[in-house]
Amino acid sequence: MAQFDFSIVTTGEFRGWLVSGFLLSLRLTCITWILSLPIATAIALCRLSSVAMLRGAGAVFVEGIRNIPLLVHLLFWYFAMPELLPETARTWLYDHGAESICAVIALTFYTSSYMAEDIRSGIRAVPATQLEAARALGFGYLASMRRVVLPQAVRIVVPPLISQTLNLWKNTSITTVIGTAELMYQAQRVETASFRGVETFGVTTLAYLSVSLVITALALWFHHRFPVRAT
Amino acid sequence: MRSTSHLVIAYAFLWIAVAPLARADQLADIKHKGELVCGVLATDEPMSFVDPQTRTIIGYEVDLCKAVARKIGVTATLKQVAVAARIPELQQGRVDILGATLTHTREREAVIAFSLTTFVTGQKVMVRRDSGITTPAQLAGKKVVTVRGGTQEPNIRKAVPTVDVVTFETAPQALVALQQHKAAGFVNDEVSLFDAYSKLGPAQKDYVILPQNISTEVVALGLRKDEPALKAAVDGALRDLETSGEAEKLFFKWFGPGTRLQYQTRAFHIDSDRLAN
Repeated sequence: MAQFDFSIVTTGEFRGWLVSGFLLSLRLTCITWILSLPIATAIALCRLSSVAMLRGAGAVFVEGIRNIPLLVHLLFWYFAMPELLPETARTWLYDHGAESICAVIALTFYTSSYMAEDIRSGIRAVPATQLEAARALGFGYLASMRRVVLPQAVRIVVPPLISQTLNLWKNTSITTVIGTAELMYQAQRVETASFRGVETFGVTTLAYLSVSLVITALALWFHHRFPVRAT
Repeated sequence: MRSTSHLVIAYAFLWIAVAPLARADQLADIKHKGELVCGVLATDEPMSFVDPQTRTIIGYEVDLCKAVARKIGVTATLKQVAVAARIPELQQGRVDILGATLTHTREREAVIAFSLTTFVTGQKVMVRRDSGITTPAQLAGKKVVTVRGGTQEPNIRKAVPTVDVVTFETAPQALVALQQHKAAGFVNDEVSLFDAYSKLGPAQKDYVILPQNISTEVVALGLRKDEPALKAAVDGALRDLETSGEAEKLFFKWFGPGTRLQYQTRAFHIDSDRLAN
């Protein structure tokens, strides 16, 4: 029976590797989330627009992105996209941590296509009469959206958005394939160096789980604090 | 009947008594029999392998054995040994010398002796020719790519402490990253690197494999412990091969351009039996 010794991976050099991976995973999640939300909102509004071209563009974005696996996205943004860039842009990218930048780009597109659908369904859940009433009172389309529809939609949208955040947090682990030194990457590195697979992935699992549980708790709290109002 | 069995017993006693004497000096013994028995793997191209045309065992270590035997003034006899059995075969005297792709390690020094180092292999770095990098040290502060899970990453970090390493699931992905200018160097096992290099085709002219090893594995001939006369004779023969340039010729014959491995340079000399560090 093998002896488990978690102190090997929770102290010294190996802990440093895991912590740096954990922090990068958190950073990837936060940056992607901040970038995804406005993009997703814009796409959702496009898909709800009365202009056919915007609706079409929104649909192409969402269906084009969420129907392709994240792994393929990552490989595309890391191995293929930079080759299409002009020389100077490419050099800049490679000098500024292409692994993390490409990971953020791929995660942002992927996450925003899912978030866009959640936001769109949230907006659609607000009865159409609300928009009509706002327009009747003399608000323009955007003003009606901003002042009347979106505030109501937010309550409906936040729980699924938190669930997308949970997916985003877990999806960061896939970026290891393009050499992004996040938690999964560092865990594999520690395993190789320490021959302590069980301990390494035990600690890693715990790290993913704890952040996931925090996000889930946030969703529950929001649901209690801001329940969807009956209209 | 009875006298026959007595004779057998007497014979056996004679052997038991004489055998240690006969082995007191293995070199004298070898000279007396007129043959040096070399244990070879015969399964490890190009160290020792069976020539498909002639069905005979040939290779780098075979040539070394023959050269050593010639210097001692005897003929070489080849005996095939298995990887796991090669050290016992040597210890029990079934072979006089091992040319069996035997890595010289500290652990093995406790049970057998080693000749001068006859071959050095290890991990190397491939760079783009236009990068102007000619030594691993120039990778300091730069990014290198390699495959995940092996000893490549720790070894390049040890060799160049300030290097920035990015690892991928597979070696071809790391090679693509080098080709796309994502990194200054691609670290891998020497033979894998030469293999990747050979697959580059016409693009080979744009890449260079740095001749220096970032980590080394040294191969030597194996000898029985406490046979100073034989070790001195073998080492002397190897030194002669080195000074006459014959060792270099043998190296390029089996590893040089025109072979599958296509080594352009020889990064070691047969001049020491010491392990580094």
